[in-house]
Amino acid sequence: MENFTEILQLKINLAGIILSFNVKTIIMTWIVMVALILFALLARKKMGLVPNPFQIVAELLITAIYNLCIDTLEDERLGKKYFPLICALFMFLLLSNWLGVIPKLCEPTRDLNTPLGMGILGFVIAQYAGIKEKGLKQYIKDYLDPIFFMAPLNIIGEIAKVVSISFRLFGNIMGGAIIIIVVSYLVYGILLPPLLNLFFGLFVGTVQAFVFTMLTLVYIAVQVK
Amino acid sequence: MLDIQTLVGLSKDLSAGLCIGLGAIGAALGEGYTAGFANKAISQRPEKGGDIAKSMLVGQAMAESAAIFALVIAVLLLFMDVSSAHPLKAFALIGAGLSMGFGAFGSAVGGGYPAAEACLGISRQPTVTGELITNMLIGSAVCQTPAIFAMVISLILMFIGFENEPLNPTWAALIAAGLSTGLSSIGSGIGGGMPAGESCAGIARNPESAGQITTAMLVGQAVAQTPCIFGLLVSFILIFKEPSATNSIVPAIALLSAGICMGLGGIGPGIGNGYAAQGAVKWIARRVEASGTLTRIMLVGQAVSQSTAIYAMVVSLVLIFVL
Repeated sequence: MENFTEILQLKINLAGIILSFNVKTIIMTWIVMVALILFALLARKKMGLVPNPFQIVAELLITAIYNLCIDTLEDERLGKKYFPLICALFMFLLLSNWLGVIPKLCEPTRDLNTPLGMGILGFVIAQYAGIKEKGLKQYIKDYLDPIFFMAPLNIIGEIAKVVSISFRLFGNIMGGAIIIIVVSYLVYGILLPPLLNLFFGLFVGTVQAFVFTMLTLVYIAVQVK
Repeated sequence: MLDIQTLVGLSKDLSAGLCIGLGAIGAALGEGYTAGFANKAISQRPEKGGDIAKSMLVGQAMAESAAIFALVIAVLLLFMDVSSAHPLKAFALIGAGLSMGFGAFGSAVGGGYPAAEACLGISRQPTVTGELITNMLIGSAVCQTPAIFAMVISLILMFIGFENEPLNPTWAALIAAGLSTGLSSIGSGIGGGMPAGESCAGIARNPESAGQITTAMLVGQAVAQTPCIFGLLVSFILIFKEPSATNSIVPAIALLSAGICMGLGGIGPGIGNGYAAQGAVKWIARRVEASGTLTRIMLVGQAVSQSTAIYAMVVSLVLIFVL
């Protein structure tokens, strides 16, 4: 039980620069990506007016997220533009958070690097959207709001969003995993662990994937207005 | 003079007492609040008494989970084997108890709000009982996040060995790590409960817009939890940064005050963000077509109210890395 913070790392020395890879996280991320591609292929197979089961799930998901994008961005054009990103982000995070339910596999989001990467991605895209929609001049002017010397605080506040969004996901998934390990150890794996997996893996995982996606979308909406 | 083993043993008993003693306060408050509102709801619609009592019990069970986390930590502390422990373990265990004890308070009080409003909502609109209970469960599960963070810090402090670290500044870092997450969880837990409660009231008032109301609640709760995420970040830095050994008391006090600073600094912004989210959810339920604008104004308001938590975090980081 003492080694639950241990991470399997592969270190490569490249001309003095040491690159380290978290092997398990990379493998799990690939499993999620392969599963998503398989789902897409199955949903596209024999597309028709009478849909196959995968097509129904895909259509329900896509319609729900599409409406959410348009409602939040309050603009049909912008909604259409950012919808593929938001939808892909949600599906990736959802499947990542669910992966820990299967024995021997672990959530890629349990490693801080995954949520942090997604958080930085959302941050960069929100800034890009702001510059693109408002123009560079208005974008910079918004940082000097309400008076020019507030600029450093506005910038720190913007960076703090990346910290909070990524640590929220990481803390919830990591916390759930640690609690499952400790409780399984205490009750010798009897009765409680499946219920905890149901709660932390499926329920909290779904809620946190949705919260992460929604916050990314709302950060874009705040920048473009 | 006490030997080290007795000292660590004393600290683990003290810590177990603090953990469940502090942790029991919030759950009792939250559950009592729920029961009070359930009585009001039953008096308004006595024929739905069974449904209301059932939802009261489910809601109280959710609110109690934070206290159960504290109980688990306290039991683990009581039965811990400390026969060959390092002296730093004494401070790590005190930190673990403080983190979980304070951390359970907010989430348990916050979990009482959605349970109470769900009971009232059932008496107001019995046809949407299912939606109300689902929304209450989602809301109070998200309320438990600060308590989960506090539990993670407690478990890390209990099970990681600190044998290779110098005694002097590290003892303060370990207590500070517990205080940082524990205290800052109080505000975020209560703040997360406010929009959850208001969303149950909103769904009872306007059941057709349940989807938008739940979405707004989740965004509001997530942002209300930001101060305790800053607390978690400061705790992680305090635990995993290896300070250099020194005889001076100054670095130790700097690390201790970094934890206290982030912990206390996170309480206000957490509750303040809860007020902002509560207002937004309340008015989205009344005017759902303006939900985009209302959500944006809520986020801007929360960002301003959160700036004080960011000041506290900046000062903590300066205390850790500069002094």
